[in-house]
Amino acid sequence: MCAGRSAEAWSRAGSTRNADMGEAFPSIAPPGRSGETMPEAAAAPRDGGLHYHDEMRWALDISRVRPIIDSVARGEASPDWMHAILSGTHAAEVADDVENLLRWPAGRDHVLGQPLSAFWPPGSRDVLTELIVAVASDNAASNTRVRRIAPEGRLQDPVLTIWRSVEPRRGDLVFLTITDAPKSERPGSSRGSEARYLDLIHHAQTAMLQVDASCMSPIYDKLQSEGISELGLNQYLNDHPELVELADGEVRVVQANLSAARLLGCATPAEVIGPVAFMFTVSHDSQQRIIVARFAGKRHYSEVVKLVTFDGRVRDVRLSITFPAPRENVDVHLATLEDVTDRLRTEAQLRQLQTDLTHAARISTLGELATSIAHEVNQPLSAIVTNAETSLRWMAREDPNLAKVTQLTTRIAQSARHASDIVRRIRAMTTRHPPERVPLDLNEVVDETLLFLGYEIASRSIDLSVLHAREIPRVLGDRVQLQQVFVNLVLNALQAMTPDSGRKGRIFLQTGMDGEGRVVFSIRDNGPGIPNENLDLIFDSFFTTKDDGMGIGLAICQSIIAAHGGTLTASNDLGGGAIFQVTLPAIAPG
Amino acid sequence: MRGLRLSNPPVIAIVDDDEAVREALCDLLQVESLPCRGFDSAAAFLKDYAPDRFNCLVTDIRMPGIDGFELQQQLRALRSNLPVIVITSATDEGSYARAMDAGALACLTKPVADEVFLGHVRRALSGSVVTGGEHPKR
Repeated sequence: MCAGRSAEAWSRAGSTRNADMGEAFPSIAPPGRSGETMPEAAAAPRDGGLHYHDEMRWALDISRVRPIIDSVARGEASPDWMHAILSGTHAAEVADDVENLLRWPAGRDHVLGQPLSAFWPPGSRDVLTELIVAVASDNAASNTRVRRIAPEGRLQDPVLTIWRSVEPRRGDLVFLTITDAPKSERPGSSRGSEARYLDLIHHAQTAMLQVDASCMSPIYDKLQSEGISELGLNQYLNDHPELVELADGEVRVVQANLSAARLLGCATPAEVIGPVAFMFTVSHDSQQRIIVARFAGKRHYSEVVKLVTFDGRVRDVRLSITFPAPRENVDVHLATLEDVTDRLRTEAQLRQLQTDLTHAARISTLGELATSIAHEVNQPLSAIVTNAETSLRWMAREDPNLAKVTQLTTRIAQSARHASDIVRRIRAMTTRHPPERVPLDLNEVVDETLLFLGYEIASRSIDLSVLHAREIPRVLGDRVQLQQVFVNLVLNALQAMTPDSGRKGRIFLQTGMDGEGRVVFSIRDNGPGIPNENLDLIFDSFFTTKDDGMGIGLAICQSIIAAHGGTLTASNDLGGGAIFQVTLPAIAPG
Repeated sequence: MRGLRLSNPPVIAIVDDDEAVREALCDLLQVESLPCRGFDSAAAFLKDYAPDRFNCLVTDIRMPGIDGFELQQQLRALRSNLPVIVITSATDEGSYARAMDAGALACLTKPVADEVFLGHVRRALSGSVVTGGEHPKR
């Protein structure tokens, strides 16, 4: 028995069911054959999985129709004796392949305990009734009858074998098997190819489940007739969670292949068979989403659910469901399962690593900017010191100019706020956080970048000009990371221009759009440019031409921009100097 | 060597692109009754410059456009003997030496102490040029 499921749900599955069958068929073989079980039955996998040997086994209870049978045997039967026998004989046990082979919409559960008249196909009723009477009246040790009957369901040439139990206490049980014979193995035959197809599925590497959602069809119809729309269904299910619970319990896995059993931690596919509730014990909302997708007439639905396997492991599994199209069997859903736990874990680790790396690069860049940050903070600090000392001089006078002191104190507060703004900006750069996705104006990011680099630019006496495109759409991104990229690019340009080149260094920043609706930021300098042999290498990790450089800056910039869905490219300007261009997708309007 | 002009109040020019620092220095001079005028760039000052219009120049080094050193050079080219006090965030020896070699009266590090600053200003106004200046680290 598998753990993790309600006893009620699984009482008919797996070994328990097999035990029932064992009791119902103490000797599958008709009397006279050796062995407890029919050779074919033994070979057929009793795991409830794909049962492609095309055999069904029944046990019929004739206790109630005993009198009628006896009367027929005596020749005194009433005219409607056939109907009486059909109504009085009911199924005591049946193999669950009934649904599969006969394609009866009613499942095994609907057949058990029902009279033959309720479910047996009309084409072979007369034959069956005669045979029942025959074996029931025959007291010989071997009372087996074999008869060909009319084709039914998948059975094209069925042969019915029927016998009465010889055990004294089971005299009112009649056993019958129906097999397709002869089995045709010719490649062209549809039965042979179907058997091979089912075999393929059984052994396929992909975990597959066949799901019976027949209970849901009347519910969908009722909802539609009540005027519930696709859009309204989600809210309806929120208001009526009992519907989702019903689906959990009534929608059933009716078949599973070997891979599915393995993925779900079951010894045999039979153990998977039962309500689908087991898939949604952790991901409660997924079932509702599936119902909504089905109701909306979608052909496929896929999502990753977290489920607990039957042997107690928690796994992330991609559940992909194909819903039947209207002309197909309306209740059969095909689901595939893919265990993505390890991949998700690896992806999460990589994301964390990326965050750590970009953070480290940011800290490194800030280290390079330490001097200019110190200068920048020093300005408001100087103003504060001087203003404070001036205020004290005023207060030391006999008639202090209090209005002036107020003004000076106000300026002190302003400068202090300015200093704290600088600190806040630096601090934002130093925090490690998972990347955000917010709408950003690239022009603003450029301006913030220049705030970081004001001193670096001034200290090198480089002309920096900026051309903001007036109307550029916003991009979706992480402000700190984009600042990081821009700071890196401008700093590289500043450092590339050596003061002794004689020529005044110029850096030209520009924002705009390219011909394909993407937002562009470019930086052009009049420095030495990038040597042609390095053009392909500069974005590689650990490539650097600086003495004290680590070479991770541009590599990280490129990966940040790639993560934003954009590109970062480098080229040489025709007039000398390098151009770096960042292209980012614009947020679609609306 | 100029003597102290008693007829006109001395005007001190403050050149710094940072508005907060510029205004703070002006207010400090003001509480000591020393008139001053602020300029946000060396170019703006040079446009307004005329011999004997100012009695002292206080300037930062790192500024966009013409920096402090270049300003000193241009004044020398104009044969100006305007005393110059350099105030800077740079603490490196090179900046100090360069400022003093260019003829600065003093090279002070921000934030300046009011007493020190006023001392140098008064010295500049009194016409006594102290050679060698002061080490930037006060």
